[in-house]
Amino acid sequence: MASRGFHAVASSGSEDEEEEAGLSRSYFLAKEKEPSGKKRARAAAGKLSDLNIVDEQVLRASLAEIPPKHEKEVDALTKSYKDQYRNWLFELRCGFSLLMYGFGSKKLLLEDFASTTLTDFTVMVINGYLPSINLKQVMVTIAELFWEQTKLNRKHKSGTKSQPQSFASQSIDDIISFLNNQASEGDDHVCLLIHNIDGPALRDAESQQCLAQVSCCPQVHIVASVDHVNAPLLWDKKMVHTQFKWSWYHVPTFAPYKVEGVFYPLILASGGHAQTTKTALVVLQSLTPNAQSVFRVLAEYQLANEKEEGMPVSSLYTKCRERFLVSSQVTLNSHLTEFKDHDLVKIRKHSDGQDCLHIPLVSDALEKLLQELA
Amino acid sequence: MDSPSHDTPLAAANNIEPFFILPKAAAAAAAASSSSPPTTTTRTRRRIDVSPPSSPNPKSAKRPRNTEEEDEEEGDVALYERLRLEAFHRTWSKIQSTIDEVLRDINLKLFDQVLQWVHESFSAIRSVATPCPAEIQQPYPLLTDVICRKIPTAFVLTKNAEFVDDVTTFRDLTDHLESNGCHLAKLSATEFAAKHGVGGCLRSLLRQLLSDVPDVADVSALASWYCGVENYDQPMVIIIDDLEQCSGDVLGELVIMLSEWVVKLPMFFVMGIATTLDAPRKLLSSEALQRLDPCKLTLGSPSDRMNALVEAILVKPCAGFSISHEVAVFLRNYFFRHDGTITSFISALKLACSKHFSIEPLSFLCMGMLEEDSENFWRDKFDALPQAMQKSAFGLPSCTRENYSVKTDNVVEGLSELMKFQKDWSSVLLCLYEAGRHEKMQLLDIFCEVINPDMHTQRAPKSDLLMSKVTSENLSSGKSGAGRRFIDRALDTVRYMPTDKLLRVLDVWSTHLKGMNEITDKVKELQSTTISTDSVKITKDKWPRRSTHSSPNRVAPLNDKATMLLDDITRKVLVPVECLPFHEIICFKNVGVLQSALLGNPRRMVQLDLLKSQSCLKCSCCSKNRIAVSASLHDTSIMCNLAQEYGDVINVHDWYLSFDGITNSTHSKGKRRLLGSPSKKKSKAMPRQSESMIQARFCRAVTELQITGLLRMPSKRRPDLVQRIAFGP
Repeated sequence: MASRGFHAVASSGSEDEEEEAGLSRSYFLAKEKEPSGKKRARAAAGKLSDLNIVDEQVLRASLAEIPPKHEKEVDALTKSYKDQYRNWLFELRCGFSLLMYGFGSKKLLLEDFASTTLTDFTVMVINGYLPSINLKQVMVTIAELFWEQTKLNRKHKSGTKSQPQSFASQSIDDIISFLNNQASEGDDHVCLLIHNIDGPALRDAESQQCLAQVSCCPQVHIVASVDHVNAPLLWDKKMVHTQFKWSWYHVPTFAPYKVEGVFYPLILASGGHAQTTKTALVVLQSLTPNAQSVFRVLAEYQLANEKEEGMPVSSLYTKCRERFLVSSQVTLNSHLTEFKDHDLVKIRKHSDGQDCLHIPLVSDALEKLLQELA
Repeated sequence: MDSPSHDTPLAAANNIEPFFILPKAAAAAAAASSSSPPTTTTRTRRRIDVSPPSSPNPKSAKRPRNTEEEDEEEGDVALYERLRLEAFHRTWSKIQSTIDEVLRDINLKLFDQVLQWVHESFSAIRSVATPCPAEIQQPYPLLTDVICRKIPTAFVLTKNAEFVDDVTTFRDLTDHLESNGCHLAKLSATEFAAKHGVGGCLRSLLRQLLSDVPDVADVSALASWYCGVENYDQPMVIIIDDLEQCSGDVLGELVIMLSEWVVKLPMFFVMGIATTLDAPRKLLSSEALQRLDPCKLTLGSPSDRMNALVEAILVKPCAGFSISHEVAVFLRNYFFRHDGTITSFISALKLACSKHFSIEPLSFLCMGMLEEDSENFWRDKFDALPQAMQKSAFGLPSCTRENYSVKTDNVVEGLSELMKFQKDWSSVLLCLYEAGRHEKMQLLDIFCEVINPDMHTQRAPKSDLLMSKVTSENLSSGKSGAGRRFIDRALDTVRYMPTDKLLRVLDVWSTHLKGMNEITDKVKELQSTTISTDSVKITKDKWPRRSTHSSPNRVAPLNDKATMLLDDITRKVLVPVECLPFHEIICFKNVGVLQSALLGNPRRMVQLDLLKSQSCLKCSCCSKNRIAVSASLHDTSIMCNLAQEYGDVINVHDWYLSFDGITNSTHSKGKRRLLGSPSKKKSKAMPRQSESMIQARFCRAVTELQITGLLRMPSKRRPDLVQRIAFGP
């Protein structure tokens, strides 16, 4: 009880607290910028390698089994948007494009909207979150869709006009002008449902220009989602007001970014050097014992001379010959090529001009690697 | 929502497909399962919406009603939705055509100047030499006495910092020149990209002029096209609408290339300049500059255009649609503070219009304003309305105020009244503006002030809110409020206006006020008294000076009378639309909706979503404990809250440990939370979760933060630190 009373007091003075927090934050920010302070902070702060990180496979397995939180509330939240579907459709018909934003994956929401409400449209889903997306292919498919539709329409009226050229061999400009010339016969509307129009592969100006041009074609409507907070920077005034004509909707769903997140590296897997050590180990173990020993020579040298830029090739050769690891420069070179191909070794220019070899791992990781290799 | 089909192999395959056509199967199946064949597509939709019987949706609660009745209701909903959509399209196309007309009229003077310049330049070039088609196609230059290598170029100063407004201007210019027999090509900055080089813009040029473009873009292709009978003897104009954005090298190359051909192919540039006249000098090399023969033209200022637009679309509501004071103020601020482009103003207005027709159920009646026989239209439509909707008409706040009895005629009458009133209203407002424009007042400012309902209640007694008769005590009692800035300034302008100017203003008034007989008579009376201007001059000195203005003219009785008249009609007629019954049908009021649709703010909102996730999700578990970050929060939300403690970089190790601490509720705060939390959650949180699960949750939260762009992953050089990108919503 007493503690609750205390908290009530604390929360009533929350403004003061906030001010204080701001002050202390700026203090720490300033501290961090100080060179000496930085070093101390570094020394005090823990390292990622100190954590007992589980194997990536285990991590990925657990990732698929994360129990959902707030399932009921998330469900209710998503359902609450259903009431707006009609208004969304209305606005789409008014000639606006819909742009959904807010935290949480909007993939299911939008696809649900499309499949239940956009029944009069041919809906084409574009997964903008994929790094592999090719806008030209998308355009070709849209053009083919329209071509099929006009062909169907024409069949009822008169003889069909032959397609001048396959769309795939036309330039994007040609396809856009073809789309622009689609007269509004009947209700052949196509709706492009673009998940993550701010996706990594669509972030360049050219793609956005292209999408903007498509969005003003008479028969094309756009429903899109963005997740990145800086997404509005993708468009200039012309695109926003005369081409896309966005109508924004804030629809946080708090749904997990299951598909969207697949292409991001896991911070505890490949981000830390635990992973690089592991891959290096796998590669090394597949090599001959001699090659492993060559690598060991190089690693030991690097650990002993941390400040140097690397080990000169000539001294590595001498060392290896002494230990009967290689018989000639040719054999050494073949080992080195193997290392370089697997990114185990990098070549640097030494300050005196000669090439030297360097293993791109920090000392801790390198030590661990040697232990495990033994 | 969580459709079962999503996790099927097909859906999973679709997720990694770059694009696919969404199968309509779901909708079709649902339609088939419904007992009766659907008459409208909207009906199918509704069926799906209400299909889960156990959903907490309020709609499904109505389920046990008679299905037939419901079907009918749904049919009505669809019908009126279609009507509203039609109303929007008709209303907006009327507004859009009005806008186009206004802008074209304003620009017409410039367009004619350009056309005249084109003709003059064309005859000047032709006077140098008139090559025949065969000569044009020769690969070597013409043999003339004069060496002519200068391309006549018109620099059009647009005075717009933002280029977007000029897009329409140049489009209209293109149409204007084309309809007057010029060959037109329009190039924009994208074609002048350094990446594509001069070949890119030449290809685009050929594409616009020639019917079939050869593979190799070449000026000689243009030459042979120009020799065609139907093309020959017409000037070619190349419009470049945003000069500053073009690559100078590419443009310079094009200029030099075409200048070699200028006698053979009479080509002229029209270039839009947003900044100052020295822009081409900064952009182009001196060699290219020498090949241009410049001529300067200037476009009207944006504020002139804005005034004309406001007059045409807001003051004289051309399509019946109007906006409330709040919306008007928002739009004004949006225009003046946001970017000052007319394009964005218009697009905001269009959004407002669509929102109005989308939200207000009775808005389709607005269409009646465009009909010839409006009253009949309204009567028909209103009689056909279902009972519930009729009732809602009388439930509008503006009607409940007035105790209208439920009668059809009242709605029709009310709407006709609104329409008639709008006419008078706009006439008087224009009179006010006519006076105010001498003081450089903007119409939008006056408009915003005049439609302010608070101002009106201030200046007129309550009983007279909806009246049309004005008494003298009303005039004296209605003291102008502090907010009546622009109206008072306009009145002051009339009061101290020189007589000759005033006479001109009176002339304009009488044209504006046509149809309002009573007031026109008064204006005429004023005009007749001024015919004996001499008498004014004599009596002028007798009037005491009312202000310390250093202006030479003193207040004459005529000025006083005109001011009185203006003041009188302002009070009488300028009733804000929001004070009239049934105004909700034609007037858009919901500024919040407009603002959120117009200016999405992901930077702020996404952070707020995460920091205040409990208010978004409306859960009971997290909001109880407001002090600390609770373990029941969404994982990403916890991480985002924790990230607030750091500066611009976050140590991943520490971050992980605090996340681990919170999720396992190891510290006291967590324990306290457990005491108050529901038992279900408690049992879940009690056993310590496996290390791998915590790590997986941590990873996912970091990935999600990265997707939202709030975080940047560690670099190779600093593997232990991630970078924060956004600070505070």
